[in-house]
Amino acid sequence: MRKSKKSADAAARFETEPAEGPLLQVVDLHTHFHTGRGVARAVDGVTLSLERGQTLGVVGESGSGKTVLARSIMGLLPKSNVERTGSILFEGREIIDASNDELRALWGSQMSMVFQDPMTSLNPVMKIGNQITEMILQHLDVSKKYAGELALAQLKAVGIPEAERRLKEYPHQMSGGMRQRIMIAIAIACGPKLLFADEPTTALDVTVQAQILDLLEEQQRERFMAMILVTHDLGVVAGRADEIVVMYAGRIVEKAPTGLLFSDMRHPYTEALLRSIPKLSAPSHSLLQAIGGRPPDIVNPPTGCKFSPRCPYVHEKCTQEEPPLVDATSPDHQFRCWTPVGTPENRAALEANRAAGLESALAVVEDVLPAGVSTATETLPQVTTSHLRGGTINPKGSV
Amino acid sequence: MRMIFTKLVRLVVVLFVVTFLSFWFIKLIGGNNDLVAKMIPFASIEEKERVREEIGLNKPFFVQYRNWIGNFVTGDLGQIYTGSGANVASVPVSETIVKRLPVSLELMLYAQLLALAIAIPLGVFTAYRAGSKFDRGSNMAAFGLLALPQFVVALLLATYVGAKWQLLPTQANVDPFPLSPADNWQYMLMPIISLALAQIAIYTRLLRSDMIATLQEDFITTAKAKGIPAKRVLFRHALRPSSLTLLTVAGLNVGALIGGAVVIERIFQVPGIGGLLAASILSQQYLLTQSLVVLIAIFYILLNFFVDILYSVLDPRIRHARAVA
Amino acid sequence: MPAPSHNSGDDIVQSLVADKSHDSAVDEPMLYFAAVTDGPEIANIGKKRKGLGVGAWLSIIWLALLLTSSFAAPFLPIPDPINDVELPRSGGGKAVVIATPPSLDHLFGLDGSGHDVLSRVIWGARNSLLIGIVSVGLGLLVGGVLGNIAGYFKGKIGGFIGSVLDILLAFPQLILALFVVTVLGHTVANVTFALAIVSTPVLARIARASALSWSEREFVLAARAQGATHRRVIWREVLPNVLPAMFSIALLGIAVVIVAEAGLAIIGAGVKPEVVTWGNIIVGGQGELRGAAHIVLAPSLIIFLTVLSLNFLGDVVRARSDVRDSAL
Repeated sequence: MRKSKKSADAAARFETEPAEGPLLQVVDLHTHFHTGRGVARAVDGVTLSLERGQTLGVVGESGSGKTVLARSIMGLLPKSNVERTGSILFEGREIIDASNDELRALWGSQMSMVFQDPMTSLNPVMKIGNQITEMILQHLDVSKKYAGELALAQLKAVGIPEAERRLKEYPHQMSGGMRQRIMIAIAIACGPKLLFADEPTTALDVTVQAQILDLLEEQQRERFMAMILVTHDLGVVAGRADEIVVMYAGRIVEKAPTGLLFSDMRHPYTEALLRSIPKLSAPSHSLLQAIGGRPPDIVNPPTGCKFSPRCPYVHEKCTQEEPPLVDATSPDHQFRCWTPVGTPENRAALEANRAAGLESALAVVEDVLPAGVSTATETLPQVTTSHLRGGTINPKGSV
Repeated sequence: MRMIFTKLVRLVVVLFVVTFLSFWFIKLIGGNNDLVAKMIPFASIEEKERVREEIGLNKPFFVQYRNWIGNFVTGDLGQIYTGSGANVASVPVSETIVKRLPVSLELMLYAQLLALAIAIPLGVFTAYRAGSKFDRGSNMAAFGLLALPQFVVALLLATYVGAKWQLLPTQANVDPFPLSPADNWQYMLMPIISLALAQIAIYTRLLRSDMIATLQEDFITTAKAKGIPAKRVLFRHALRPSSLTLLTVAGLNVGALIGGAVVIERIFQVPGIGGLLAASILSQQYLLTQSLVVLIAIFYILLNFFVDILYSVLDPRIRHARAVA
Repeated sequence: MPAPSHNSGDDIVQSLVADKSHDSAVDEPMLYFAAVTDGPEIANIGKKRKGLGVGAWLSIIWLALLLTSSFAAPFLPIPDPINDVELPRSGGGKAVVIATPPSLDHLFGLDGSGHDVLSRVIWGARNSLLIGIVSVGLGLLVGGVLGNIAGYFKGKIGGFIGSVLDILLAFPQLILALFVVTVLGHTVANVTFALAIVSTPVLARIARASALSWSEREFVLAARAQGATHRRVIWREVLPNVLPAMFSIALLGIAVVIVAEAGLAIIGAGVKPEVVTWGNIIVGGQGELRGAAHIVLAPSLIIFLTVLSLNFLGDVVRARSDVRDSAL
């Protein structure tokens, strides 16, 4: 109906029978920005895959490339000064070389995104209802009236009270949590197979965060969507993701199924991320362990392991040669480290660094350190999620 | 509501001051008796005295001002006196203005529409393709146009299109309104283009810079991620929030052009308000000047008010902020 | 459910405060300033910010050439622009006065009275530039002082000055100038004075907006907290920061005034015709557009190049001092 001829042609490319295999396969993806200072390798050789209906958690600090990764996969980055290489297979079809016109047939209908800041992600001068229906009319061949009904149903599905009235309102008339629910309603309105959630709770009040995450999980289950949940908070993905990818300086430093990651983490950066989460089990007033140092400069990254300048277990080899991504106990679990956590080399490096007075090594507090492959690991995931879920009673309640 | 109320009060005060100042200023310059002497220098002494009586120049200043305001509100804008010796005739000012006003309005309206019709797509497109060759070229052109005075454009048009190639009529001094629309257009086209050209440059540059800012907003990425075609993203999502500055300038320009198009009116001999105002000053018909200045000020101020209301139509956030306040 | 409007109320205030479009201080002259000096920074397109760039140097060279030649006009080997010239005579000894198009002898041709147009343009530059520079200088002096005071003392004084400026700006500016010239007489001094009156509120408004934003910065508050007098704070802290904006706008202002002088001449309210100004040269040639367009085109071209150079330099100054966030 609304589809122009151009977009219909573009859609044809993607309306062939989907191939067998995973929903999404990313192979050796590089995203480089050409800046005034030089080339910024925001995503530097990422390989991952995602099955239908599954959740992948992408975790890292700001600057680790996780947001750029999500936008690279979706193809939302600007074309000028950005270079993407590698392969992105969506349902078995290559989309890295697709034009915007071709991708437009996928955006919203096959894959969509929930953004970080709901205060700025909705058009301030357009009614909520129009913001939903314009997309439905773009992708589905339905009447305006039916699109309106669909939009209403979506709002109800994401737990917006008085949905009829809200359709006629503007974003500024709603709270942040409500707006994020609307963003979710927009993202899922056309039944995408893959949903990107880019730090969907970072800009929200703590009390609302868990509600939004639960809503995402619930909708994902009901619609059998796959989800890529991007966050800086390991606690957010702990109870929700099937698999977790930890990113640092544009690279995957550790990748494992969620349970395995928490029970057998190998990379010092993963460990540091975990330590920086406040825990309910810890005595009150215990210090939070922030990760010392700064996130790496992706234009001029350090030689060797990118994390080495901040790593308490750093030794000579780390600063010279970058460790490859190797399998841990199973091929599902991969990491990139010369002195993985829990090994004798790791221990030795820490002792040596302490003796040398290295700040990051001295900052490591022994009691939360998973010495060997044991101690705190079992309690950690549970504890970390409970601090988020604690307040959740009625996920559809008022926001 | 309170915001609108305070604005209204402010407007009334400004209007009052403007009328008072122009009245006082002209009295000061003309001198009470001199005013008539300047208007009809060759009239007989008796006639001058009669006119003085008629205008009420013999009364105290504040009485004159009060009467003048009173008449003004009822639509009596005074008379234009001409003639010599004992033959002094008068024409109501309002009659002259009513004849001239539509010409000025047409000129101004079409110039604005033409400028906006070109500047909006150009501004949107150059913002969308910021940094491209087309964008750079268009910016250079706009910068050049800004340095090209309106009268130069007008003179060039008059020389080549009008005089040398004789494509369009010039120097006619005809009232374009009794003419058929086609003829009317023939007379008005060159003045309209002369006025519009510089504004195209201004509007394009303003819209472009606001659009570039808007296009970096998160909600534009959202719209893109929804699979909305680029054209719709630009015109439905980005244009409206980017158009407030443009609206302000366009509004102010409409106000400025109603009396400020003097030079263009003069070059093409278009009988508009600007030319009338200039002529009234040059021929020292200060009563006419007074009325015109006040009319233009009122127009300008009302226009500002109107632009203000348009803001809230364009941006619901302003609407609701006012409703709350 | 907590009222959502409560939550978003702050946002509205924020967005309104942040959004320049809703500021009542936005007016035409400031937006013209924004339009000329905004956005792509013509001066910097495709270039690093080091150095002045070719465009800026060309502008400076052009303006320097213009200034020196107009200063040196009496000493230049150019024909007399005003007094009667020896005209070519034909047959019966009667003077045949024909405007001649440009030639190698007369680069801009001759006008209807046999005067060399190039010479007239150079002599005209003396008066036109004088009018432009002096009137903007006066406007800058008065407007700058008023604007700085109004911007620094935000209370009643600022409000009063602001209202006065508003009222002055509500008059069509060319008409105001026309009025002043008509009353005072058509001399160079009076035209300069009239255009100074017109440019004062414009310059004052921009100085005010700039001073307003600077006087809220921490270092100004710090100076106040240390007990500095108002005069000292304005003089030492606010003014130095406002000056780049003022200088940038002054360059544009000179351009506008040069055009306004010609505009006044065209509507018959400029300097009296026997004085050579760019405007008067154009008016003189207006009647002969069909046969001798060069009389009008030559000064028009010179005005165009001058305005272009001034705008360009204004843009460069603006870009280098990053005036925009303080001016708007």
